[in-house]
Amino acid sequence: MIFSDSFEFTCPIKTNSGKKALEQLPAELDALNAKRPLVITGKELVSKCIIKKFTKAFGDSGMTIGIFDGVTKNPDWKLIDELKKVYSEKKYDSIIALGSGVIVDVAKVLNIAVSLNVDSKKIAKDPAVKGQLKPFVIVPTATGSGLETSRFAHFQGTVFSSFYLMPALIIIDPRMTRAESKEDMAAAALASFARSVEAYIAKSKNPLTDAYAYAAIGFVAGNLETAVKKPCNKKSSLAIANAVAMSGTTMSNTAAGLISNLGQALVEMFRLPYGIGMGICLPHILAYYQKKGGYNIASLLLPLAGPDQFAATPDSSKADKALAIVGGMIKELYETVGNKIPKTLKAAGVPQYMLADILEKLSLADDAAFDKEGYLTVIESAWEGKPVASAGKE
Amino acid sequence: MSDLVKEVAAGAKPFKKAYVAIMLWFMGRAVQAAAKADAEVKKEFEALPDDFTFALGVLPNGPWMVVGKEKGKVKYFGWNPDAKKLDLRLGVKGVEAAILMFTFQESTAMATSRNRLIISGELHYALAFMRIMGIVETYLLPKIIVQLAVKRYPTQWSFGRKYGGRLRVYTRALLGF
Amino acid sequence: MLLPEYYEFCCRVHLVAGHKALERIPALLADLDAKKPLIITDKGVAGAGLVNIVTESIKSGVTIGAIADNVPPDSDLKVVNELAGMYKQKECDSIISVGGGSVMDTAKGVNIIVSENATDLMKFSGAGALKRALKPLIAVPTTAGTGSEVTLVAVIKDHEKHIKMAFTSYFLLPNVSILDSRMTMTMPPFITSMTGMDALTHAVEAYYCLQKNPLSDSHAYAAIEMISKNLLTAVKNPTDKDSRLAMAVAASLAGIAFSNSMVGMVHNLGHSTGSVCGVPHGICMSIFLPYGLEYNMHKSEKFIAELLLPLAGPDIYSKTPGDKRAEKVVELIRKMNDGLYLATDKRHARCLKEVMDRDGKQMVPKEKLIEIAKAALSDPTSTYNPEEADYDDNVMVLEAAWEGKPLDRKKIKKG
Repeated sequence: MIFSDSFEFTCPIKTNSGKKALEQLPAELDALNAKRPLVITGKELVSKCIIKKFTKAFGDSGMTIGIFDGVTKNPDWKLIDELKKVYSEKKYDSIIALGSGVIVDVAKVLNIAVSLNVDSKKIAKDPAVKGQLKPFVIVPTATGSGLETSRFAHFQGTVFSSFYLMPALIIIDPRMTRAESKEDMAAAALASFARSVEAYIAKSKNPLTDAYAYAAIGFVAGNLETAVKKPCNKKSSLAIANAVAMSGTTMSNTAAGLISNLGQALVEMFRLPYGIGMGICLPHILAYYQKKGGYNIASLLLPLAGPDQFAATPDSSKADKALAIVGGMIKELYETVGNKIPKTLKAAGVPQYMLADILEKLSLADDAAFDKEGYLTVIESAWEGKPVASAGKE
Repeated sequence: MSDLVKEVAAGAKPFKKAYVAIMLWFMGRAVQAAAKADAEVKKEFEALPDDFTFALGVLPNGPWMVVGKEKGKVKYFGWNPDAKKLDLRLGVKGVEAAILMFTFQESTAMATSRNRLIISGELHYALAFMRIMGIVETYLLPKIIVQLAVKRYPTQWSFGRKYGGRLRVYTRALLGF
Repeated sequence: MLLPEYYEFCCRVHLVAGHKALERIPALLADLDAKKPLIITDKGVAGAGLVNIVTESIKSGVTIGAIADNVPPDSDLKVVNELAGMYKQKECDSIISVGGGSVMDTAKGVNIIVSENATDLMKFSGAGALKRALKPLIAVPTTAGTGSEVTLVAVIKDHEKHIKMAFTSYFLLPNVSILDSRMTMTMPPFITSMTGMDALTHAVEAYYCLQKNPLSDSHAYAAIEMISKNLLTAVKNPTDKDSRLAMAVAASLAGIAFSNSMVGMVHNLGHSTGSVCGVPHGICMSIFLPYGLEYNMHKSEKFIAELLLPLAGPDIYSKTPGDKRAEKVVELIRKMNDGLYLATDKRHARCLKEVMDRDGKQMVPKEKLIEIAKAALSDPTSTYNPEEADYDDNVMVLEAAWEGKPLDRKKIKKG
């Protein structure tokens, strides 16, 4: 284990994962001194069946919960103000986000509003968050990207960043984490995988981020094939959901690098889901890192292939082997999902003339390692789908 | 404005609760029976204080079983955990967690390691309780299920202890003496 | 990566590690809206000059409310109450604990009293009694270590009533833990070796005991690798900053692991040996670790075998046949103990009969083993041990550990 001389790490999240995790929720809320949770979800984004299962889990607890199921793909500030009003009128004392993505963003921003007693105008103007917020729980469904458990929230073009935004508890229940489609599962798995890989090979890594990234990479490597082929398989979807949750912690504690920044740019500019964009770019970025040097790609072989293969592979071949495994994983995933997810930026609808704009966006991100020429090559390779040079060597 | 948020009161799980209640009732009486029929259980209780009372049940609203010592005898005190001063209380976090325990999908040790229980009271009492429950479960259940419920099946028990004891514990538990 | 059917994991402590980590304290306190800490420590730590280093590093940013250095080696309710009184009298708003396990536990106890305005600490014992955040607590461990800076447990003894109160709550976790290499630099070789083995035991037991989960596994794995690479260096070269920092981080990683995965027989027998014969905790851990592994081998062999990689490296791992790896782990840990025995001028005992007090007197006479075996039955750590262990099992293991002979695994009852 190697790490730089000094580091800091925070993860305020308690993780409950597995069989009947949902039914432990009332007892967990009680432990957080919460008795009246407001549940934020969206019936357009989360199935009725899941919402029903969730409500049933409170059976026999004696609790009354409030449910708002109106989160849509594009919520506005007005919603935050309306929910804040209801929250204080009805004296709720905690927030549960049932779902992923925008549902969690709404819940996080609402938590700022009700905990600091500020309206949307003030929040939009000054997104700084300070101080403990109300108890906040996430019950993720299948389509997460890792941002849910992270210190980030995105709302109406504003980016919030604070460890206080991270949930106190995440309940990962296999009944909630099964995906409806292969593409959804693929996106979630790729997002968590890419973020975890970035954290694991980053120069700003430390043993704590490694612990989370190691587990997440292992879960994706061991379960990706089954999870994508059978998105409703409880065991593999639970593993992927765990990886997604862990990747939020790692990304909150490491500096964003090319993988995350490029993923973010593709979301903002082309609405390309995180996992899809990062999955397209990942092999090209890793090949670039290997060529450039200074990134511990060889270390990836351990969580990817397990101790036996890791120990048996000579040091000089470890990085190539790791890249080959990553390339193989993504190739197989594309074969399983077929045309449902794009394999190149070109297929994803990114016009060639905008590649320079993507590079421009990357130059504005806080990336100490920004390399104009190198990054452009990566973007161009990902656009065209050029075969990755180092991948494939055994 | 109030239509924005729907209030949902927690439901009830009457059948599951009833099953757990029956299991707890029988378990309580079986502990009382085993304290008379089994030397090891007797010894465990002898090491506990004179009016030692413990309760095992489901949070937040029951059902419960309460067992303890009164004038040197081990008794099943019924279902009310507030009726006596408790030295040990093991609360299972919800009826679903209790179902996992009482359908033996999770042993007591496994349920503890999975944080399905909240233990109030001194921990060495909880240990004694788990040893007692292990013995009682060995009497009550067939081997194939006991092996799920305990860490190590006591293969060293004699035929007489196992089957004679089983008969005694069942009889006493059913008849309540 | 093993995914259990169900697991829970939590470590809310903000960790700050580095050669100048202490200097972060004022800003961290300010983030928590605090600026007047009570520093809780003990005479040994103060005497080693460590408290001075802390105060020098923070005095420009905070007003130190008071420094209390009277924490005894064993946490004491009387001292807890006294320090809580001092906190209130000096109008402090936060606590910094600088020391080992007893100081950490005392600070946690003080925090309960001052935060809940309690008059009787006993009312908060057990699990689930605390329902909300306590006052800001910053932990600065001076050993590597007990891991108490990242655990949710505190044990306070009431010496008058002869009872031990255990408190378990996520709210007991310190807000921040500072891992600064300067804090463990003065640890003499013997203390370094036994606290290091304490940390190794936490990590190893967390990896194979019943509550293991993916995150406790990955934390434990990292801890074991760091300890195996750095412990002997830290013992032989006490002023090596990097190995001190690595050991401090490893001890916290191990603390996080066992706090979320619990421990088993090694701690079970270790606690009992400590309470019956007064043997320091770390020594008990070093001695019992190979035996705990041997005892549980038939149930946990696969997991124990996996530890060969972080313990010994890829070369030895790949050269050792799969079915021999678990035994090799035990062999290497015994070798580690041998190495530490030599590096500490034979003070790091390898078996119970070798454990001597300062006057050279044997601390664990053979006659005491049955008392230890009995005491172990009351210690809750047996719950998480993979295999059942009754009185006879304990005696068998204790006798082997006394002699320093490997356990005869054929004699282990397997049910």
